[in-house]
Amino acid sequence: MSSKSDILAALGSVALAKHPMPQVEIAPRLDDLIGQFEASLKAVGGTLVKEDAMSALQAKVAELVGEGQQVISQVADVTGNRETPEDPHALRDINYAVIDGEFAVAENGAVWVTEQGAGIRIAPFICENLLLVVRADSIVANMHQALKQVDLQSTGYGVFISGPSKTADIEQALVIGAHGACTLTVYLV
Amino acid sequence: MATTTTANHAEKAEIFCRDETRVDWHSKALWLLRQKRDRAASSLPEWEQLRELGSEYKLHTLSHLGEYLEQFEANCVKQGIQVHWAKNGEEHNRIVHEILSKHQVKKLVKSKSMLTEECHLNPYLEQHGIEVIDTDLGERIIQLNKQPPSHIVVPAIHLKKEEVGELFHEKIGTEKGASDPTYLTRAARQHLREQFLSADAAMTGVNMAIADQGAIVVCTNEGNADMGGNLPGLTLHSMGIDKMVPNMEAASVLLRTLARNAIGQPITTYSSFYHGPKPGGEMHIIIVDNGRTKALQDELLAESLKCIRCGGCINTCPVYRRSGGYSYNYFIPGPIGIAVGAQQDDTNTTAWACTLCGSCTYVCPTKVPLDKIISYQRRLKAEQGKLPYGKERYMPMVGKMMGSTTMFNCAMSVARFSLRYLPHSMLKPFSGAWGKYRELPKAPKTSFETWYNQNRSK
Amino acid sequence: MKIALFIPCLVNQLMPQVAIATLELLEKLGHQVILPKGQTCCGQPMTNSGCFNEARSTVLKLLNAFKGVECDAIVCPAASCLVAAKENFHEFDDSPEAQAVINKLYELTEFLHDIAPVEAFTRPFPHKVSMQMSCHGLRMLTLAKASELMSPGYNKLEALLNKVPAIEVVYPEPHDECCGFGGTFAMDEGAVSAKMGKDKASAHANTGASYVVGYDPSCLMHLDGMIRRLQLPLETRHLAQILNEAI
Repeated sequence: MSSKSDILAALGSVALAKHPMPQVEIAPRLDDLIGQFEASLKAVGGTLVKEDAMSALQAKVAELVGEGQQVISQVADVTGNRETPEDPHALRDINYAVIDGEFAVAENGAVWVTEQGAGIRIAPFICENLLLVVRADSIVANMHQALKQVDLQSTGYGVFISGPSKTADIEQALVIGAHGACTLTVYLV
Repeated sequence: MATTTTANHAEKAEIFCRDETRVDWHSKALWLLRQKRDRAASSLPEWEQLRELGSEYKLHTLSHLGEYLEQFEANCVKQGIQVHWAKNGEEHNRIVHEILSKHQVKKLVKSKSMLTEECHLNPYLEQHGIEVIDTDLGERIIQLNKQPPSHIVVPAIHLKKEEVGELFHEKIGTEKGASDPTYLTRAARQHLREQFLSADAAMTGVNMAIADQGAIVVCTNEGNADMGGNLPGLTLHSMGIDKMVPNMEAASVLLRTLARNAIGQPITTYSSFYHGPKPGGEMHIIIVDNGRTKALQDELLAESLKCIRCGGCINTCPVYRRSGGYSYNYFIPGPIGIAVGAQQDDTNTTAWACTLCGSCTYVCPTKVPLDKIISYQRRLKAEQGKLPYGKERYMPMVGKMMGSTTMFNCAMSVARFSLRYLPHSMLKPFSGAWGKYRELPKAPKTSFETWYNQNRSK
Repeated sequence: MKIALFIPCLVNQLMPQVAIATLELLEKLGHQVILPKGQTCCGQPMTNSGCFNEARSTVLKLLNAFKGVECDAIVCPAASCLVAAKENFHEFDDSPEAQAVINKLYELTEFLHDIAPVEAFTRPFPHKVSMQMSCHGLRMLTLAKASELMSPGYNKLEALLNKVPAIEVVYPEPHDECCGFGGTFAMDEGAVSAKMGKDKASAHANTGASYVVGYDPSCLMHLDGMIRRLQLPLETRHLAQILNEAI
């Protein structure tokens, strides 16, 4: 414990004056949340399906399963062909993961996904393609509103996912598909 | 491009500047990030308000840091997270190694963490027989190329795609001559996928630690932190004490500015909240001081700890863009590198690798007064008698001359006379860097004061 | 108004034409202008190098030149020197007399824009001029909105120049990147300073302007050296020189 007490002791004589806790007082942009979300999602490389989205998703997954693609689904009424394993390594060959997002954020196209929603933490990352289901009335304007909705006490892990994985580490050239999913589709229901 | 310990900033920069085409390419690549940042920032009417809030949240946290660290630890422990405290880099490395050896870890996958760079963790673990794989694409490139990062957000920004292609051909067997970024990235994805799947433990840095939740936030675009953090049972997260924020509202402010200011994205692809070990796993957080409490004892240096490592100051810095990441004699380059690392530069020059233009301070999402801190770092060096470029010899003379009207007028009359009547080719050897790169000033006949006395003064 | 001129050493010794233009312009605008004796350097070369002890006598000598001088304003045609003088006076002398001097210090652009605004200039200047938004005037005196900020835009230099008939104001790309002068930086870091200067001079030339116009003589001197080395079809002018011809 000595390093801890040394660090805390040194913090007893910080030269900064005590600053009060600030408050965020920013009016959220509430016009056309779905339109804002759609534009943001497109900008980060994702795709939105909003017409008859649940039927479209069910049809898509049925087609994928028919083609022999490996699909894991945590969404009610969408049936894949793989079960959630205990060992995350078992998902190494997953082509598609279908997961419920709790809500989405208009300003940046992000969707909040929890450990419970994903079934297993690795699912949204290890799949080649990620299909997220989000309720249209769950879209919030910005991250201030978003983090008010996040309840970490009920989950050990949660993640905002904004588009497919990407990198620009080679000469600033944007490449979609780094280590996480290579495509992301959001089904708005 | 190898870093040597002896050359000073100006010498390294001069070498970098010899290849002007490459300087232009480097400068343009980074300026592109600044332009993307401007577009992203301008899309939010509340941008300046967010910068002010970012600064205030950080000042509030830093001025109550002891309380928040204790609160954070208590909340982590409740969720089954094991928390460790390290006074310096050596202690951090020792703690990490102890955890890894307890679990007989042979291979560790690591996502980007400037702190482990600061602590020299990789060589330490490698000496102890543990293989460390950096998994961020840029970090993997420089790890294979045996180089340190040249930038804190885009660590391989100094390399051209052809150079990466050559490196990948040699190290991971891509086609000879292939340099298409998509092809190379796909190859790295395959190569690193195998590493993720065969790792015994994963380690990440921390973007924010939320005191009242006992949670850490890790931001990446590639998903490498999450591929690592969510596969093996054992995960470790290293954080400086400066990563603390009080609550979710503070995190929401920084999550809005971080990626926008870094690369012009509204948010990173993944912003992950780790709040406890995965079922059957172990989660460790190592809280590191390594000089930060010392900086906090100084009112101005303390503000450097407001930094959230977005790299925006580096992208806008006109000197960094034209001198490269390896010219700074510190593992963090650019304005923030000078602000936090100048005292560790034995050449005593990096504090002077700056025109004090102030662009960095204006770009900063938490309003770190970078130009003021850099200026202050010079003063600290001067007070230790550690001045570069012969300043310890000529500055007292300049001070004396400027303080004396007669001496100064006399010297300047000679200078004006020489500039007017002697051929400039003859003066160049005496004009140093000025005449080497620019034409000498056209000198007037007299000073303004003389003109004034002749034309106005009665 | 009664104005005391603060003419920094570089302007006094190497660019008297800028000081003369400032004096004539202020006189034509109806001000009474004096030049307090005993002025010297603002101490910036020393303090920017961290050498505060070496700067003390110079800074105090400059401050003494203004202490007790009867005037309404002290006006300086060099933004960077003005900023340094303000900071350094404060650093070395916390007396009320020093504060009285500091309170009267104005950079020429801000004086003409904020303190004694000029309605219009009469004589046309039918040329394209490229704005040299030097750093200290921009970010420490806030003479314009810097490109990094997302607050509402304004530019006091442009506002003044736009009062001159037939002038065309243009901006280099990027608008307000440092020119690389940086005081002793130009000597210490010759290669980077020169590359910055070359890029800046070329950016000004790319606008097709005939003149580079700014409020900071030291940056203009550095750019002039680059422009002549690169043989670009451009000349540098201080704001005071343009306005003095246009009035």
